[in-house]
Amino acid sequence: MEHGDTLQERMEQNGMSRRTFIKYCASLASLMALPPSAAYAMAEALGKAKRPSVIWLPFQECTGCTESITRSHSPSIEGMIFDMISLDYQETLMAAAGHQAEEALHAAMKENYGKYVLIIDGSVATGLDGAYSCIAGRTNLESLKEAAKGAAAIIALGSCASYGGIPKANPNPTGAVAVSDIIKDKPIVNIPGCPPIPVVITGVLAQFLTFGTLPELDKLGRPKAVYGETIHDRCYRRPFYDQGKFAKTFDDEGARNGWCLFELGCKGPVTYNACATSKWNDSTSFPIESGHGCIGCSEPDFWDAGGFYKALSMPADPLKVAATAAVAGAAVGVAVSFANRAKKGAAKSAHETTTLEDLEK
Amino acid sequence: MSTIENISISIAGPDDMLTGQAEAVLTEVAEMLRRLIEQNIEDSIDLRSLPLSTVDRKWLDRQLGHGEVEILLEAGGRSVMTETAYPGVWRITHRDGQDRVVAEFVEVAWVPNIVKPDAGDVKKGYESLLLKLDGKSAGA
Repeated sequence: MEHGDTLQERMEQNGMSRRTFIKYCASLASLMALPPSAAYAMAEALGKAKRPSVIWLPFQECTGCTESITRSHSPSIEGMIFDMISLDYQETLMAAAGHQAEEALHAAMKENYGKYVLIIDGSVATGLDGAYSCIAGRTNLESLKEAAKGAAAIIALGSCASYGGIPKANPNPTGAVAVSDIIKDKPIVNIPGCPPIPVVITGVLAQFLTFGTLPELDKLGRPKAVYGETIHDRCYRRPFYDQGKFAKTFDDEGARNGWCLFELGCKGPVTYNACATSKWNDSTSFPIESGHGCIGCSEPDFWDAGGFYKALSMPADPLKVAATAAVAGAAVGVAVSFANRAKKGAAKSAHETTTLEDLEK
Repeated sequence: MSTIENISISIAGPDDMLTGQAEAVLTEVAEMLRRLIEQNIEDSIDLRSLPLSTVDRKWLDRQLGHGEVEILLEAGGRSVMTETAYPGVWRITHRDGQDRVVAEFVEVAWVPNIVKPDAGDVKKGYESLLLKLDGKSAGA
């Protein structure tokens, strides 16, 4: 099938009316905290935009980010937008494999040099010169440096590409780092989350195509519009926090009444993301609505932040506590460690239920 | 053995309070209406970008009330545009193909902007109508 060059032409071929597109742009503008009037400018500019070349390289990742995006909202307009960009390389989604795939990658980079958007998901292994993660015999480190040279902009998708994520968790055996630790001379937008909210990537792409600019970023390189407020700021349970009503366990009266999960370790107050408004699973809910606190997955080093069930008001980082103990006297730290291990061992041998307290040791 | 039905869950409404946001929205609407009348400037407020509680929304809808016009738009899902009790102030809800709310606005305009057809679309429609008339006269 012959496709037109612009998004407008492709939309018409797909039977999408202008008003449908304006509605879609209105929802994107709302998400990106652009004024409502930006929807019309966005629709007009996007309509005239040529299909952008997008190259998507997966590094040390679990494919969760790809799952998040490909399983969201399809087959909606958002899915059609993805059809409309020229996704020239994405190992999981493309039909080609092996040499054919590598040829497609290099052809796309050559043809669109200086113009393509590079999406990276997964962290970059730097240990043993990057040998921990290779594709087609080349390290991710090499591939990133090569692909970044011709990119107009880079989107670091997910917490791994943004901050190193779980591969970087202590003791970081592969020497995992974020994209921004390697590439210093290109605009990089971090879209963290484990996985990230799917519509954010479309929003960033739409803004880039519409205004030729990237969204305003916070100090951690995230779009302010999406990551400008904490989960806690927008949480529907926030009034309970203000009233001092907290669930103390996952099955007490407070939990059944839907009270604040702060004391059960919710990281909402220190986590910047839009889950409370955008929600998940086709806008069904977000973790706090399902009775579990936020684990802070869009924040750097969330995995090492001290335990998902430890309240923020308690010592947040057991690693730091351990380090302090070591400075104060190594024997104290060792003693605590042995005591905890002994408790867990005793619980195991006695077939006791593992408690939250045990998990935190 | 207890089943999930035996677990009594009563979710109290954390949304059961006015936050003051809705009142601020109403004040802004009044200002926008003044600009429409005096300077012919159309504008809108993105309700989803504001942390309005359920009670706030109900209060706001009550204050805005209903006017005489309701417009239905079927484009990639249903959109409802309702004139409020204040002519020129529209309450707009856009839904997608799966009937999920994707955007909500209070628009202050003579007619909601999205309702007006695009000049290019009108031209294409005109050309297609001429072709139809040509076909009819050729067939006649």
